[in-house]
Amino acid sequence: MPEYRVLLIEPNRIMMERLSSVVRNTKNFQLVSRAMDAREALGQGGVFVPNLILLDIDAQESMQLVREFVRAFPQAGILALSSQWNAQASSAVVKAGAKGYLIKPFTSEELIAAINTFGNSGMGMISEVMTFFSPKGKSGKTTLIANLGMALAQKSGQNVAIIDADLQFGDMAVFFNLDPQSTIVEATRDIKFLSPISLNSYFMPIAERVRVLCGTKRPEFAEDVSPKAFTDMISMARSLFRYILVDVPSAFNPISVAAAEASEQVYLVSMISGGYEGKHMQRALDIFKAWPDYETKVKTIFTRVEPCDIQKQQQLEALIEYPVCSILPNEYLLVSEAANNGRMAVDIKPGSPLARSIDLLAAQIYGRPYKVG
Amino acid sequence: MKQKVEEEIRSGIIMTVFSTASAVGKTLLSVNMAAELARSGYKVCVVDLDLQFGDICNYLHLSPQKTIYDAQKAAENTVGQLDYGEYITPYEYEDTIFSVLAAPLNLEEAYNISTQAVIEVLAGIRGEYDYVVLDTTATFSDLNLAVMDLSTMITFVGIVDFIPTIKNMKVGYDTMRSIGYEKNKIRFVLNRSNSKTHIELQDVEQLLEERFYHILPNDFLTAIDSIHQGIPLVINDEETALGRGMQELIEKYTNRARQKSSRKNASLSSWVKRLFK
Ligand SMILES: Nc1ncnc2c1ncn2[C@@H]1O[C@H](COP(=O)(O)OP(=O)(O)O)[C@@H](O)[C@H]1O
Ligand SMILES: Nc1ncnc2c1ncn2[C@@H]1O[C@H](COP(=O)(O)OP(=O)(O)O)[C@@H](O)[C@H]1O
Ligand SMILES: [Mg+2]
Ligand SMILES: [Mg+2]
Repeated sequence: MPEYRVLLIEPNRIMMERLSSVVRNTKNFQLVSRAMDAREALGQGGVFVPNLILLDIDAQESMQLVREFVRAFPQAGILALSSQWNAQASSAVVKAGAKGYLIKPFTSEELIAAINTFGNSGMGMISEVMTFFSPKGKSGKTTLIANLGMALAQKSGQNVAIIDADLQFGDMAVFFNLDPQSTIVEATRDIKFLSPISLNSYFMPIAERVRVLCGTKRPEFAEDVSPKAFTDMISMARSLFRYILVDVPSAFNPISVAAAEASEQVYLVSMISGGYEGKHMQRALDIFKAWPDYETKVKTIFTRVEPCDIQKQQQLEALIEYPVCSILPNEYLLVSEAANNGRMAVDIKPGSPLARSIDLLAAQIYGRPYKVG
Repeated sequence: MKQKVEEEIRSGIIMTVFSTASAVGKTLLSVNMAAELARSGYKVCVVDLDLQFGDICNYLHLSPQKTIYDAQKAAENTVGQLDYGEYITPYEYEDTIFSVLAAPLNLEEAYNISTQAVIEVLAGIRGEYDYVVLDTTATFSDLNLAVMDLSTMITFVGIVDFIPTIKNMKVGYDTMRSIGYEKNKIRFVLNRSNSKTHIELQDVEQLLEERFYHILPNDFLTAIDSIHQGIPLVINDEETALGRGMQELIEKYTNRARQKSSRKNASLSSWVKRLFK
């Protein structure tokens, strides 16, 4: 266990005493210095060589302050402290260089959980939300998301979340063979009272660095998930995960639209079946074209493509008059067997053409520079 | 006196085709049910309730001028009886003729359809046809629940491809039962039987605690060929197992309607056995 040498900055005396006592009483945590005034800590805190800074941000000019602490203590991790959860402030402090956001007062358990969640990843906590949208369903998107989530975690070494928001008939839990204690229904119901740390426990771990928030257990529970609570939940999840992959019901409905709007990236997914999938893809694209930045934000993927080569990809692009970002080969037996057994195709057959296509997509996503705003 | 008047008003049988998974063959089955009923001498209308991405007109190669959007708008703005003939697109191939009430032309229209007005339209249409076939989407939307409420019969189409689909069939069926639909109102039709899967049919029936009322074979080339030609399988000169299977389904459905009492007893006993086993 590493030893945490804590520098605590808290302007309120009573709160300061309370938090100090929690830090002192937490195993492996040592309170090396504390200050009621941030400027003072900036000037003198360094002598105590803290490696963890708990910094109040309810005082003014907090973003600037975070930046100054990052510069002054490059070897330390910074957790922003606030008396209430605020999605905007949370993402702002993270962009400014903090590791995460912690609601005060906190308990020893919450402090440890915060360190475990934010600290080990060593990331800037910049997050990307991706929604996988299909016009008509049976697009192969759940298969894609499950496998892509694993591939992204492996490639990036960072935390990945899968959110099953296909509210009535979500099947991510079956894909991963899970019997979840909590689902999207509870997470959205409780969201007002949650902080990132407590939200994390609603996600089920399925692999190192991959967690999934399962869908409803029964179709009638879908009504309990409001689009507002759902987007609040996504924005809180941003401080836990580098990549968030969202599975939504097919077609345009309040949840799929809310997810798309909350995302950096929307993938329209369709399966080749010899019918009118190209026409439906175009029809859906036409709606997204109302977004001024649709060309960068909206990408298309076709699954079960045969032959899965560049000529076919160009053919599809000509058909829908839009770039096709990825094509996945037909591997029915592999993916259905995998799903039947709660396993992932990319794990069972890492060298298969399907796994390679998904790897390519993961590399594309991983290599993409993060766009702020 | 009043009763006589009611007898003269036609009240078409509403057959809804539903599923809990996409791309299981609802639309293909809907157009073939309509065609086969028409061939059997009934006056039929098939209604495309896949409002956003409806395929009925794609599968029949029709280019509708008016759609369900116009019909429901008219219903909203009119008091009293409307003439729905205006909103219908006729399908005609050789001597098979039936009506189509098409899905909206664009997504904005699809997004702005009132369930209440659609129900009104269906009530009106029902008076002019023997059978109204409703093609739906795989979701318990307000619209789908409302039309299932007034349906005479629900054809629940399933395929046995992999476990997630079967789970959704099960929870979907449980939901329909818990809403209060009679078992007898819901008929399971297994489509694409014999396609490459490793799941036993019996296991699925055991899970559902229900037998498949009818089974249709997997025949992708025949299905896709019909879609590409815009001609329902059941009218095609070339006999296929899939086309025959669809005809047999309609035979079962219509026999039941004609000789209600005798058939009812026969099936009742098997239902009872299953209920009290
Ligand atoms: N690349 C693929 N090639 C062949 N079949 C696939 C592929 N991806 C998915 N499938 C099959 O298609 C069906 C639907 O897949 P799924 O991922 O559940 O799609 P969706 O979430 O869009 O409904 C499943 O039977 C699955 O096994
Ligand atoms: N019995 C069958 N055998 C093979 N393919 C079929 C069969 N029934 C339907 N299909 C194919 O499955 C696809 C989906 O059918 P569709 O009727 O559009 O499904 P849904 O309306 O349920 O989404 C179509 O390409 C169709 O040709
Ligand atoms: Mg899915
Ligand atoms: Mg359909």
